Amino acid sequence: MNKRKTVFIEGPITPSFIANSIEKHQTKTTIGAHDIFLGQVRADEIDGKIVQAIEYSAYTEMAENKFHEIREATFSKYDLTCMHIYHSLGKVKTGEICLFVFVSAPHRKVAFEALEFLVEEIKKDVPVFGKEVFEDETHVWKVNKV
Amino acid sequence: MELKVLYFGMIAEATGRKEEVILLQSGSTIDQLENLLKDKYENLQHLSFKVAIDKEISANDTLLNPHNEIALLPPFSGG
Repeated sequence: MNKRKTVFIEGPITPSFIANSIEKHQTKTTIGAHDIFLGQVRADEIDGKIVQAIEYSAYTEMAENKFHEIREATFSKYDLTCMHIYHSLGKVKTGEICLFVFVSAPHRKVAFEALEFLVEEIKKDVPVFGKEVFEDETHVWKVNKV
Repeated sequence: MELKVLYFGMIAEATGRKEEVILLQSGSTIDQLENLLKDKYENLQHLSFKVAIDKEISANDTLLNPHNEIALLPPFSGG
């Protein structure tokens, strides 16, 4: 059994957390290319009201299993040096980061392809639920587009 | 048999709870559980969801047993 990594972070993912994560890779000198996806909460207008934040919840144990399966599938499909996935739980305001996916490889092409695969799999298969909250405290439930 | 059922997102909102124990005849399927829950919670009839058994999305004719952890999952919206 491979070591499980922690994926969920309470609240937004900060720019300094992302910068630290990049810095940690400076010792891994077989890497020649990083690719990063950052999901940011959008201030969508829905029926005349503007989204202020998304509150994320998850079926945590199943989500962790799925993140693990997706990691394994991505490693077997692409020649990556390393991979990191972080997703927020709880409240993330508009403009803040809720998903951070980071892949590193010896060469760029595989990093581009692996990142797209990873993000699409996460959106499709991981049981995370986003509640879009408006200024007046009402809300709607977000649904991912395919 | 007694089944532990978990609710998430808009499904938890429709049922007004995050989990409960449901009594169902032994040898029942997901379909039968769904029918019972839709009778109990009318709101569920208008919502789209999938059912996970022991953390895997499962087909509606799957037989349930009392050791299963069952979860009703609305559309995913991570990221």
